[in-house]
Amino acid sequence: MAFEYTDLSLPIPEEMRAAHRRAWERLAAPGAWWNGAERVALAAEVRAARECALCRERKAALSPHAVAGEHEGTSLLPAAAVDVVHRIATDPGRLTKSWYEKTLAAGLSAEQYVELLGVVVTLVNLDALHRALGVEPEPLPEPVAGEPSRARPPIVQGGAWVPWIELGCDEARTLYAGAPRVANVLRALSLVPDAVRQLKELSTVHYLPMDKVADPRAGLPTLSRPQMELVAGRVSALNECFY
Amino acid sequence: MEGERYDLHALTGGTAAGPTGVPHERELVALAEAVAGGDPAALAEARREALAALGPESFVAAAAVASNFERMVRIADGTGIPLDAGVNELSASIREEIGIDAYGSSANTPPLSAARRLLGRVLEPAARFVLPVVATLSKRRSQPGAER
Repeated sequence: MAFEYTDLSLPIPEEMRAAHRRAWERLAAPGAWWNGAERVALAAEVRAARECALCRERKAALSPHAVAGEHEGTSLLPAAAVDVVHRIATDPGRLTKSWYEKTLAAGLSAEQYVELLGVVVTLVNLDALHRALGVEPEPLPEPVAGEPSRARPPIVQGGAWVPWIELGCDEARTLYAGAPRVANVLRALSLVPDAVRQLKELSTVHYLPMDKVADPRAGLPTLSRPQMELVAGRVSALNECFY
Repeated sequence: MEGERYDLHALTGGTAAGPTGVPHERELVALAEAVAGGDPAALAEARREALAALGPESFVAAAAVASNFERMVRIADGTGIPLDAGVNELSASIREEIGIDAYGSSANTPPLSAARRLLGRVLEPAARFVLPVVATLSKRRSQPGAER
């Protein structure tokens, strides 16, 4: 079974292990716009990006656009997808709207982009946790056969680069429990609703349930809210995240 | 947390920016920096110190929070979302003070007009009282059987 943490003496809560296993099952299964093999290949690219010479050179450059080259990507994925994975994984603070538009012009659809992003951030999250705990990354799951669902919810173009779900639709009412307003970060991946479900599940076990985040009294029994926010804010600042 | 005051300069400046007032700040900031950085030796040292200072349960929670925000920043910056309505105004002065406005991803949020900036400054002291009330109200509204 995945995420057993048998060699780790630290107390990993069972609900955290269970959420990690569900993330792995979701990763391996066909999504809305990528099949299981492609989703696992996207995940493998996140790990490859940490060792990628081109990414290191770009990260060190004054502008990432100043360094040309190609990543050593898997043949299963389009080159544009490989580049997007590497950029998001290694240099998220310098992504721009014009860069996003170029990725679409290179052949990725907005739907593929959002699902790809959902896969990347899940891997980044779980691998970062394993590094922090001092354990090896979990081996990637075996892909599950099947075709993408190509299910797209009703969407609107809001303030983000990507389109997002229309809040009045049934899918949004299910995702957000009928809330009339939803924080932008919770709506960001909603072009692919399962990516939002994944976000909510991991947030619940790694930080707070998303509907509790705005309440400053919400916290953990093991870590005070100011301590949580100090860690969260420092990580965000080091990634140069304005949001 | 309500009514308590913390110095936020460490968010952008690290521990060199001075004390925050948060217990175990040195170990927490070091852990956050090591998780966001790529140096295995620094991470091993930060892990050892955080574990010793916090204890195993709290260390796991801190590691989880750090890794969670490795995810959240990429969602925000990978989709180009702007700050939420209200947060832009209420956080304007602190963002300016600690240097967050200089980040490239600030381009995703439309700049505030002078009037809205002023409104933010006026409302800022009330924010810490308003937010819990709003959170309580929304919690009550989401309870099964709550009046609509």
